[in-house]
Amino acid sequence: MVSDFFYPNMGGVESHIYQLSQCLLERGHKVVVVTHAYGRRRGVRYLTRGLKVYHLPLRVMYNQSTATSLFHSLPLLRWVLVRERVGLVHAHSSFSSMAHDALFHAKALGLRSVFTDHSLFGFADVSSVLTNKLLAVSLCDTSHVVCVSHTSKENTVLRAALDPARVSVIPNAVDPTDFTPRAGGRPDPRTLTVVVVSRLVYRKGIDLLAGIIPELCQKYPNLHFLIGGEGPKRIVLEEVREKYQLHDRVRLLGALEHKDVRNVLVQGHIFLNTSLTEAFCMAIVEAASCGLQVVSTKVGGVPEVLPEDLIILCEPTVKFLCEGLESAIKRQQLGTLPSAEAIHNRVKSLYSWRNVAERTEKVYDRVTKEMVLPIDKRLKRLMTHCGPVAGCIFALIAVLDVLFLFFLRWLVPDDIIDIAVDATGVKGVWKQQESFSTIKKHGKTPRNNCKVQT
Amino acid sequence: MAAGGFRDVSGGSISFEQRLHSSLCGEFTVTSPKLSLRSVLAATSGVWLAAYFAFYYTQNSSVLSATIILTLVGMTVYLHLFKIDHETLLIIGSVGVQLTTLYASGRENVTFIEINKVKDIVINEAIYMQKVIYYLCILLKDPSNPRGVLEVVPVFQSAKPRLDCLTAVYRRCQQILLEAKIRYEQFETNGNL
Repeated sequence: MVSDFFYPNMGGVESHIYQLSQCLLERGHKVVVVTHAYGRRRGVRYLTRGLKVYHLPLRVMYNQSTATSLFHSLPLLRWVLVRERVGLVHAHSSFSSMAHDALFHAKALGLRSVFTDHSLFGFADVSSVLTNKLLAVSLCDTSHVVCVSHTSKENTVLRAALDPARVSVIPNAVDPTDFTPRAGGRPDPRTLTVVVVSRLVYRKGIDLLAGIIPELCQKYPNLHFLIGGEGPKRIVLEEVREKYQLHDRVRLLGALEHKDVRNVLVQGHIFLNTSLTEAFCMAIVEAASCGLQVVSTKVGGVPEVLPEDLIILCEPTVKFLCEGLESAIKRQQLGTLPSAEAIHNRVKSLYSWRNVAERTEKVYDRVTKEMVLPIDKRLKRLMTHCGPVAGCIFALIAVLDVLFLFFLRWLVPDDIIDIAVDATGVKGVWKQQESFSTIKKHGKTPRNNCKVQT
Repeated sequence: MAAGGFRDVSGGSISFEQRLHSSLCGEFTVTSPKLSLRSVLAATSGVWLAAYFAFYYTQNSSVLSATIILTLVGMTVYLHLFKIDHETLLIIGSVGVQLTTLYASGRENVTFIEINKVKDIVINEAIYMQKVIYYLCILLKDPSNPRGVLEVVPVFQSAKPRLDCLTAVYRRCQQILLEAKIRYEQFETNGNL
């Protein structure tokens, strides 16, 4: 698994990689995560179940994404891929430079590759055009692509000019043990609480939220808003609260740790999502898992996420969102909603990480049966698929990448690289703590395998 | 006593020697390759040739003098501070661990760690330059936190042997530490070693 986005950073991609890795480990696979260093967290770390994480010392450029020259990461990535005997590289997120680098190098090394796209992207502005061209280059010879919703699949197929048969849809999931309803049902219905948990940025529709709050607070005196999250748009909400004197009814909680999200969600009756673009939207699944009635904008992959009776979908305007919230408030007052426990059980049956891992495994099985493109066919595909200019440029880069790889193999041959002791997988030694401080308890002498230091 | 030809993480040859004095005492020496006369001559010739060209264009003889002095000083500093010939790990179960580094100039650097400060000896992984390597290290106990580690002391830092060599040292060290622990417990219960 390769991505710039992983713990201790928090977000949808990060939790997806972690949860998927854990379930694949449970199914007996060997999984290694490669990401960049986060502050003092560099080098090799081990997480639950012996999940091995390489925090590579690569310079971060923007928004937790590493700076790339494509070639500078090859020596280190090659070393990791060889020592861990990697058979398949699974890269995540089109915003991650390291993911694109890893795909490029994996093909040079003759490894199979899979890419998961977690986001929707435009077509018109300059940044979109450039990103889409890079995506087309990265994915034209990638073995398989995974998207988190059908909308996301359509978006990726159009952006990267892919054959839809090479793109699968595997949604995200939720850990039901993390998001359970409040014991004793929903809070007191006399004061209704609308919960919003998201980053306070333009893309999350915070301007819409700023329009909804005063209108509904005026109409419903018993309505409260509980807003968790941090971002540049926080000031807009603070201005609204100040202007309409809503300090007692609108609470801004600031940045939340992932472990605290559930405790915030269960304080409310309705969950509001005002996103302007969303590939999947994990937040609404988490909210529904906590037994909340969900009101959301009808954008991106959101309509695919929950059944119609668990979500009220609205057009992304203040007027329609207010109408949606009002119908949710009426349902609360009439008591026509199913119990929080019943909603939780439905969501639990709809989304599970084990199911995601099972489906991802099928993609891996399919990919392992396919042949990795040799360099000549790869160059041909780059030149035909990516346009006359970009195609030739990236074909040249691919040739240089292979030449650099030959040079590295001459400098330090593959057989010089120490093969890593498997912490997980078929021959995993994660549970075998071999040292003088623990041998006495087990009554045995040290064996060949080394102790894995955590 | 056992000796063998091993390689370092870059593929260079190193020699490894282990002397087992008793069940409670072991000595492990890793020897880096000697400084070859050919490479010294090549480097010196290259620098002096460049200096001669500089002298040819500047017609300033102090360039040659400075180059000769700098080369000699540089060589001395390199041999005295950087070029390591032998690295030795001496472990005595009831006493402690001694790390000895012998430089090419004959300078010796000795570090001693008492056995009651040693929490464990482990093989760890680290990212070093453009490589991911295994290294042997001694974990020191944290007096304030029984489960914590105060410091990590790497062993064979210069030679950087590969995993096969480290595993041989690791296994023997673990046996010595275990033997020492068993004997100490016997001494505590019976009152005699």
